[in-house]
Amino acid sequence: MSTRKMIIRDEWERKLKEVKIRKEDMNRLIMNFLVTEGYVDAADKFRLESGTQPDIDLATITDRMAVKMAVQSGNVQDAIEKINDLNPEILDTNPELYFHLQQQKLIELIRMGKIEEALEFAQEELAPRGEENPGFLEEIEKTVALLAFEDVKNSPYGELLDMSQRVKTASEVNAAILTSQSHEKDPKLPSLLKMLIWAQNRLDEKAIYPRINDLSTAKLEEPAV
Amino acid sequence: MPATAAAEAPPSAPEKLAARLSSGEAGESLLTALREIKNQIIGNRTKKLVYLRLHAVPRIVALLSAPSSPPPVIVQAAAAVGSFACGVEEGVRAVLDAGAVPHLTMLLSHPDAKVIDSAARTLRIIFQSKMAPKYDFLLEENKAFLLSLLNSTNENITEFAASIIAHSCEKPTEQTSLCDAGVMQKLVYLLGGSTNQRDTCLDAISAIVRTNSDAAAKFISIGNGKAFNSLMGLIQDRYPRTRLLACVCLITVERAFPVYFQEMQIKSKLIVILLDLIEEAGRVGDDAPFVLKGLIEESEELHRQALSVTAAERLCGYMRKGKAVLEARRLEGILLVLGELSSKLEQSRAKLIELQVPTLVIDLLKHDCAQVRTAACCVIKNISRSLKNLCAGRFGTESTVMPLVQLLCDSSTSVQTSALDAICNVAVNLTTKKSVLLQCGGVSTLSQLARSMHSEVRLKSVRALRNLMFLLDRKDKDFIFTELTASTLTTLISDPDPLVQEQALALAGNFVDGCGDSTKYIFSEDISILNAVSRQLKSAGSPGMCIQGMSFLANIAAENDLHKDAVMDCILPVSPDLNISTPNSFLVNFLQSKERLLRLSSLWCLVNLVYPNHKNSLRVSALHSAGIISQLKTMVNDPCLDCKVDPFPLKEFTLRS
Repeated sequence: MSTRKMIIRDEWERKLKEVKIRKEDMNRLIMNFLVTEGYVDAADKFRLESGTQPDIDLATITDRMAVKMAVQSGNVQDAIEKINDLNPEILDTNPELYFHLQQQKLIELIRMGKIEEALEFAQEELAPRGEENPGFLEEIEKTVALLAFEDVKNSPYGELLDMSQRVKTASEVNAAILTSQSHEKDPKLPSLLKMLIWAQNRLDEKAIYPRINDLSTAKLEEPAV
Repeated sequence: MPATAAAEAPPSAPEKLAARLSSGEAGESLLTALREIKNQIIGNRTKKLVYLRLHAVPRIVALLSAPSSPPPVIVQAAAAVGSFACGVEEGVRAVLDAGAVPHLTMLLSHPDAKVIDSAARTLRIIFQSKMAPKYDFLLEENKAFLLSLLNSTNENITEFAASIIAHSCEKPTEQTSLCDAGVMQKLVYLLGGSTNQRDTCLDAISAIVRTNSDAAAKFISIGNGKAFNSLMGLIQDRYPRTRLLACVCLITVERAFPVYFQEMQIKSKLIVILLDLIEEAGRVGDDAPFVLKGLIEESEELHRQALSVTAAERLCGYMRKGKAVLEARRLEGILLVLGELSSKLEQSRAKLIELQVPTLVIDLLKHDCAQVRTAACCVIKNISRSLKNLCAGRFGTESTVMPLVQLLCDSSTSVQTSALDAICNVAVNLTTKKSVLLQCGGVSTLSQLARSMHSEVRLKSVRALRNLMFLLDRKDKDFIFTELTASTLTTLISDPDPLVQEQALALAGNFVDGCGDSTKYIFSEDISILNAVSRQLKSAGSPGMCIQGMSFLANIAAENDLHKDAVMDCILPVSPDLNISTPNSFLVNFLQSKERLLRLSSLWCLVNLVYPNHKNSLRVSALHSAGIISQLKTMVNDPCLDCKVDPFPLKEFTLRS
């Protein structure tokens, strides 16, 4: 027999209503999400509708998104130049990010079949990064290994050519720009949801209550007795 | 299907681009060249060096102040200069040599906001380097300028101002002058800004309060403790770098104004936060252990506190988990904390042994990085500084001693000396087993090092041999002595460094202790050793040296008449001409010394000289006529119990005279 406390729906909802959350705080949470993820139009609309001021100049979001888009569409050099215009310190103080951008550039050259150019770039640009930081060597080897395969996509390191690799690099760029703007690199909302799940799991050990299982609807489920 | 990248123009060769800077090009073409150079060098150390060799820096700096330079050119030029000054020492030097600082400073009052921004950012980067010029705050105009920068609404400018302070403020007069000008309040106010600004301001505040109690008191009093409270908040900030800098700042305030920190609570909190920070990636995690070591340095109380928050367990766990991948600097830092923890408390040593730290650390004696090897030696030295563990023979094992002996031949002197420190402790063998050091070539290496040009290396190797010699059996003592040789020992006794003299005499004392026939070595080579000892005692050098010298003589005087007479010759040298003893023997001075041990060792020497047949009138009357006996009479009421009661034969000896 369960020793857990039983809380019925009515009681639970009453308790939830007793918790006062300021509307402004909720709005700021949403604004924080829109700004961090770079939804500039939505952020602007939301600003007009809710009167919530973003904690960052919205124009910088447009710049940041332009950089992100450049990486996602494979224009790495363009992205590098845009980052340097935005703030020349970012790539000078993030060797890992700079390396990943260079690596991405090599990947794009290989994708386009520009083998000679790729080889030259690997020698001229990537090899010195390995000398400066031996930690990068393994990744350089993996990337250069792509050149050895006829069917690159099905080669052991074929996943480097996936879109997911571009997205990975792009989000690294996004985070670095945000940090340089003294902004958190992750939105607060996902961590709040993680805390919700953790709290519910802890509570499960002690009580039976209407749980939220579907985070997208936040519907309170009937407790299973 | 991934989108296809647009074709990108291949980058131009550095030589061509650099040439375009000075070919009188203007307008778009110059701007493109500058921009391309900037984009090539940012993040790219190799490219920076290429352009430095091409002397691009002076040309770019010249563009900063050229009247014809339009704002976009200045912005690109300032950004490029900033990048040259970032992360490459040669670059900073080139930028400074080209006179960039005054040009950039002028640009801070440029009408174009973008120019101001990039100039301020570049200045800030330059002032983050140790090579940047020191700023003279005592000049009124400089101080006024600094204040105007601090009052700016542009964060790049305020950060630059804070960087100047962090970099240049060192002397108490400078600290006071900045405090009086209200700079501290300004910095505290700026703590409320962006993360980067906050971090630089924390650095600046640390610089102003460092070892300055007035400045620290001022900081604490700002806003009735509001500034202090916000600092307390920042040690728990979301950003690891801010947490670390806030910890450094708080520790600096505490050091300068300790009365305010009587309670353990804050320091205990700092220990916990710093332990957490060690697990952070990058520089924060690398620097954190050094800050932690500084915090608990020399304080038994804080060592205890660190143990109570499981610092030992956490550091060991972390080191064990990441030993293979940890950055050398972080590893070094963690080892230094462990070394500090085990430097005082037996309780800490026991804890570290329980956690099998010695095994972990012995592995690191072979690490590629010299600083890690040095720090590993330091841990072994401190853990082995324990009578209990030495008695258990825990560190005399081959697995500890062999790698340490190998480090004696290390190419780095700091590794050598710290290995010697560790060997000094593990050389003390209190077990019945034969010391590994005697078997693995350790004695011969130590004997060679005793002849080193470095006085520190000489000192530490002699000290190790002295410890090794302690309580050995005759055969092993003779073995060490033959390896070291009588002539080396003589030289060491007359070493220019008084500390080496002292250790060499102690080594000699341990050698002749309980001696039997060992003294034959001392009398070899025309009693050169005895002569050297006599010479040193007469010159009355450091008390430590005299104590060891007298103990050595006391040990020899415990033997037969031949030995006793030799010691008599040492303490009462006979003048060749007049055939009488020089009236004021150094022994009289020693017996009057404030040093208890010097009086005691001198007394023992005398006792041994007259014992067992104190009625031997020759030696006694010589001592009498040298004024030594009358000196003894005054010591009947010596404040030191050992000197007064012991040695008993004195009573008869003085009565008789």
